[in-house]
Amino acid sequence: MTPLRLTVNGEHIAEPVEPRTHLADFLRDSLNLTATHLRCEQGVCGACTILVDGEPVRSCITYAVQYENAEIMTLEGLEHDPVMAALRRAFSAEHALQCGYCTPGMLVTSRDIVLRLPDADEARVRVELSGNLCRCTGYEGIVRAVGRVLAERRAGTLAVSAPQPRRIGPIGSRRAVATASPVPSAPAADRAASGRPAEAETELGLGGRQPNFEIRRSFVAARPPDEVWAFFGQIERVVPCLPGAALVGPADGERIQGRMTVKLGPITTDFSGEARLARDETQRRGTISGAGRDRLSGSRAAADVDYHLVPAEGGMTRVDIVVRALLAGALAQFGRSGIVDDLATRLTDMFAQNLERSLSGPTPEHGAAAPAPFKAGAMLRAVFAARLRSVINRIVGRPHE
Amino acid sequence: MKPVAFDYERPQDIAGALALAGRADVAVKFLAGGQSLGPMLNLRLAQPDLLVDLTGIAELKQVGETTDALEIGACITHADIEDGRVPDVTNGALAAVAHGIAYRAVRNRGTIGGSLAHADPAADWVTFLAAIGAGVVIRGSGGRRVVPVEEFMTGVFETVLAPNDLVTAIRIPRFSADARWGYYKACRKTGEFAYASAAVLHDPTRSVNRAVIGAVEARPIVLADAGELFGRRTGADIAASFVPQVAMRAMDTAGFKNPIEQKVHAVALRRAVEQACAR
Repeated sequence: MTPLRLTVNGEHIAEPVEPRTHLADFLRDSLNLTATHLRCEQGVCGACTILVDGEPVRSCITYAVQYENAEIMTLEGLEHDPVMAALRRAFSAEHALQCGYCTPGMLVTSRDIVLRLPDADEARVRVELSGNLCRCTGYEGIVRAVGRVLAERRAGTLAVSAPQPRRIGPIGSRRAVATASPVPSAPAADRAASGRPAEAETELGLGGRQPNFEIRRSFVAARPPDEVWAFFGQIERVVPCLPGAALVGPADGERIQGRMTVKLGPITTDFSGEARLARDETQRRGTISGAGRDRLSGSRAAADVDYHLVPAEGGMTRVDIVVRALLAGALAQFGRSGIVDDLATRLTDMFAQNLERSLSGPTPEHGAAAPAPFKAGAMLRAVFAARLRSVINRIVGRPHE
Repeated sequence: MKPVAFDYERPQDIAGALALAGRADVAVKFLAGGQSLGPMLNLRLAQPDLLVDLTGIAELKQVGETTDALEIGACITHADIEDGRVPDVTNGALAAVAHGIAYRAVRNRGTIGGSLAHADPAADWVTFLAAIGAGVVIRGSGGRRVVPVEEFMTGVFETVLAPNDLVTAIRIPRFSADARWGYYKACRKTGEFAYASAAVLHDPTRSVNRAVIGAVEARPIVLADAGELFGRRTGADIAASFVPQVAMRAMDTAGFKNPIEQKVHAVALRRAVEQACAR
């Protein structure tokens, strides 16, 4: 717990908080100010927008401890604010709410528009409201309501006080003062050990579910199909070809247990899971069906990796790989899906590249060494592309994605 | 949705922040406005032991001006730049770019230094500041150094920063009066991260002619001499001489090869050039 002093709706509050308590939770749970709504809790929807030092901010993605000595204003404190009173009347007249869930955030953002942009036209109002999502899609009425109050302001029928001079820097931040250091808590390793244990997923592979990634790659291995087929039968040699992955213990017939660690900037994942192996000798096709859970974020992943061997010129073998994966939980929810897509593509590229190298090299080494975490972000696409070009040049069959 | 438990410190000065970052026993993360890190913490994608809040450090909220450049403190917000609380040395460019970042409530907290240090490839400053030849002022165990923005980001969410390096300011070169600039980003929805972006600065007085292709899920692609992009012409009508093949070649060289994405990014660049001409 960290001591915290701040002003909420004009009242001085002194209360200890856990640093991880975000401002909205502090207002709702500690002060019982429930007009502030919470929905996405990742800064996208705007339902939690409140005023800090008179300016709108998201209260879900900053923590209460960051607002030492700041002035917080929630809807409860704006009851007698003339602009807010005008907005309430306009929202009512223009039918600007249905379920009301987004309304607190809409009102706070609308108040900012009226005060800061008195000349805003409808297009500008829509742009300024774009950070507040209405799940009833009732934007038409909301935009009209804001327009109505803007018209009142321009007509001079709405009394507006002059804006306060504003401090430079993040709203609510003050100059820090020296304090005694709190007692440091346990480092991550200890905390992780006490976290949720990795649980085996009952269903391996996608089953009937739709993947959210599907990536196809082909390469030619300078070995005859019989040898390549035998290689894919040795799972302890295939798994280390996937960056950051390793087997946990020896392969047990058709089932294996594994682990995969990937680092991407501030994000670290540590997936543990299980896979089932199926092989069709006559077709020279096989499938690795796996599922796992990230110990850190609780994200879940399931994947089917299909491989198919086709004889190629000069006694060599073309290997076709299809990776279909389904990601659920925090990693999938995270608003930057392009980055996750790109990562999955690069992992597949490197998997194909390592397989090709293991198959074409003299005697590929293998062992039960602990995996090095795959540092995904550190790898520049350009560097990677240059290294991959030699592989691509040897590809036969259909073009790459 | 709650982050994992972490400790929190708000040092008074840069030396205090660097001392905390030097702790070897815990995973430390610097926190500025928190508009990108907050969501990652809430989703438990980032799990630091200690957050070091930089927003109490007065030095990081200062602006310094010289004859050829402006130094913007790392903790100055997008809204500060949008509203003109920072002097303009770029013919309005920084204010216009700042205005297009996310939403007002986010701009009131989000900082220019935090955005660069976070190194999201689709973020606005990473692309635009690379185009105008800005520099990142860094303080760390090795003293003070300035790294060009185009070399600062090394990959998705990765930069040249060592664990106890701190971005203290951004150095913005002063534009000439006749400098023309353009910035275009393609988003599905207003305020979202871009799926393609591009920026151009044509400042003949300073012999600067730069273009950048951004939002490529990697470090932005910089054309430090963009003359070829306009068939070596200069002046107000360079858009008429725009050669998209030059942009395509640059993307090829950078390993950004998907033909559809290449076209989308080339269109973003053409629109940035058209904007520059219309100014």
